[in-house]
Amino acid sequence: MGWESRQRGGFYYTRSRKVNGRVVREYLGSGAPGQIAALEDEYERRRREEQAAYERELREELDALDASVEELSRASDLLVRTALIVSGYRQHNRGEWRLRRGPKEGG
Amino acid sequence: MGPKKADSAAMNNASTSELIEDTEKLMAVIDRAQDGDKEALPVLRKVLDEEPRIARFVDLARDVERSIVEKISGNDVFAQEAIPRNLKAMRREIAREDPSPLERLLAERITVCWLELQYFEAIYAQNLGKLTITQSDYHQRRLDKAHRRYLSSIKALAQIRKMGPAVQINIAEKQINTSR
Repeated sequence: MGWESRQRGGFYYTRSRKVNGRVVREYLGSGAPGQIAALEDEYERRRREEQAAYERELREELDALDASVEELSRASDLLVRTALIVSGYRQHNRGEWRLRRGPKEGG
Repeated sequence: MGPKKADSAAMNNASTSELIEDTEKLMAVIDRAQDGDKEALPVLRKVLDEEPRIARFVDLARDVERSIVEKISGNDVFAQEAIPRNLKAMRREIAREDPSPLERLLAERITVCWLELQYFEAIYAQNLGKLTITQSDYHQRRLDKAHRRYLSSIKALAQIRKMGPAVQINIAEKQINTSR
């Protein structure tokens, strides 16, 4: 999209869009109609840029939060596993925890 | 020296802080203990008994909670006051009366995971109309992950409760009681 100069002189505002996979150029006029269309496109571009910036910022914020909760979850899972093993339990086929038979080993 | 002996030596030489920092290494020691390696147990006891970093998980839970509450409340002073109170009540309800320190930590984790899930759901709902399909997928995946984490936090506490008083770990005093 943008202003195009004409051979006869003057400028035309054009906008390109895809229709059924083909790029179609729309001529929106010179003078006031062209100016209005150009402003509309400018506003839309800014709105998209702001939304993208907001989305980027939000992602960074949520990623940081996610990482902290993930760290907490992983650490407490390891703590639970460690405490269970030290208490004489054993995980059966990565599922149920059962008390190990016989005397406790080690320490 | 065979590979197993070399592994044992590496395991014994690893400091407890190294094991906490390096999840892979700690997992390897846990796996060895699971396989009946007698040398792994004292190493794991040391991790529970001596590592002061373990106490920081409780602090981490509180930090994350505070950070989410700030984001949710914004400038709303009533929400700033009310949400922590509700979370405290929730934690108490989950931990029940006279919880072991490990149960208390797991109750903290459940509360934080629940709060995170609520926050992600609210963010997703707020932005629903504005998101592209790719962005929507991204938020949906994040929500699914948070939901899985929440469920596994509940499972961990249920597991410890099922084992009863045999599994007691005192994080604050860095002591462990494995008596039955």
